[in-house]
Amino acid sequence: MAKALKIDSRDNCAVVLDDVRQGDRVEVRTEAGIVSLNAGSAIAFGHKIALAALAADQPIIKYGAEIGRASAAIPAGAWIHLHNVTCRRGREGRG
Amino acid sequence: MAAGEIFQGYRRERGLPGVRNVVAIIPSVFCANTVARRIADQVAGTIAFCHPVGCSQVGLDLELTARGLKGLGANPNLYGTVVVGLGCERLRPRELAEGIAAAGKPVEMVVIQEEGDTLRAIEKGVALAGRMAEEAGRQQREPFPLSELALGLKCGGTDATSGIAANPALGWVSDRLVAAGGTAIFTEVTELIGAEQILAGRGTSPQVSGEILTTIGAMEQRLAAATAGAEFKHRSALISPGNEDGGVTTVAEKALGGITKAGTGPISGVLGYGQYPAGSGLYLLDCVGHDGEAVTGLVASGCQLVVFTTGRGTPTGFPGVPVIKITGNSATFTRMRFNLDFDAGPIVAGASIAEMGAVLFAKVLSVASGEPARAELLGHDELFCITRI
Repeated sequence: MAKALKIDSRDNCAVVLDDVRQGDRVEVRTEAGIVSLNAGSAIAFGHKIALAALAADQPIIKYGAEIGRASAAIPAGAWIHLHNVTCRRGREGRG
Repeated sequence: MAAGEIFQGYRRERGLPGVRNVVAIIPSVFCANTVARRIADQVAGTIAFCHPVGCSQVGLDLELTARGLKGLGANPNLYGTVVVGLGCERLRPRELAEGIAAAGKPVEMVVIQEEGDTLRAIEKGVALAGRMAEEAGRQQREPFPLSELALGLKCGGTDATSGIAANPALGWVSDRLVAAGGTAIFTEVTELIGAEQILAGRGTSPQVSGEILTTIGAMEQRLAAATAGAEFKHRSALISPGNEDGGVTTVAEKALGGITKAGTGPISGVLGYGQYPAGSGLYLLDCVGHDGEAVTGLVASGCQLVVFTTGRGTPTGFPGVPVIKITGNSATFTRMRFNLDFDAGPIVAGASIAEMGAVLFAKVLSVASGEPARAELLGHDELFCITRI
């Protein structure tokens, strides 16, 4: 089973620690023990998986702080990256 | 002093001891680069710090060059410096030599136009550098307490493991060193955007907190201005394709993962480029995130040693200053084994940050005491790069 790490108790995403295929069961190390969920798509090592369903414009929380916002609704287990996150800062032309 | 609480260094007349003991050949202008390089080629124990600046500059740009080169010359790892000038440059060789001498260092000067030509300048430079290298070679290492160590903190080639493993391990080392009375300096202000409130909350006074916010805010404005035109929109991303491929999505995510390398302790002050800290503690240096400019800035603020975290893997080094490479990505460590000094990857697999931090701390003291970092063994020296406006 693939592994992932929730870094801060406030986070709503985790970092996957193996290359994950769509449908794989992912075990997430969290402050409350292991939580498992199904990967909604392939997710590469080091990338983020949504721990809960996120509404459009909801903050993405990692390291206990906002790293950007959902550009559309993100289901639990989905890959979170450039295609579904907006962050106006530091990316003026692409955000 | 207990083992684990000391390192072996070279005593200096003033300031911190060196962890290396080199004679620098520093051109005051790029026109003197070849003469400087040939002097260094002929005298063992010397390093030429060639650069593309020193003339046809004005204002802050020229001032940053002057501060950077003086700060470099004052670095504890340098026994002394031979300044090589052309004679007509805007950064006067005498100003540079006097700036370095003010730090209590032996300084000599060769000016090409005064000596006559390249050959005579090299001949004089070799004689001066040879004498200085001979004096430096007589010095023996002595034990020093941790309070005499200034460590530079840097990351580059970030991936998702940097924020989980390598940076927190380095943060542990930084906290440990500062608690023992030592100094740690972090920089890369371009990469702190999104983490400014957290950092400002760690200032030791309202004034320091204000300086942190002002420094990061000014950098963000400078970047916004530089990318304002429509023709630059495709060049406005502050994170690199390698960061994105590694799973870092936004600049705030990179910043939050990056600041863990500066530990959790209070921030004692903000340093200008080429400025040395007034006391021990954790400091923020105002410099951009470019690996070369940032490491040069850390060296020009007196860091004897730099620990550089990397997820993607990078081979670079700085002449005369050990740059210890650590990664939190065990696959990168295996692939780039000869470039990397330390694998913090076990943290990803569940090892504690304190446990790996303690092993990294011992490695830092060993390298400070003379063990070569991989970048030194391989002769990597590409990080010397004076910042410009």
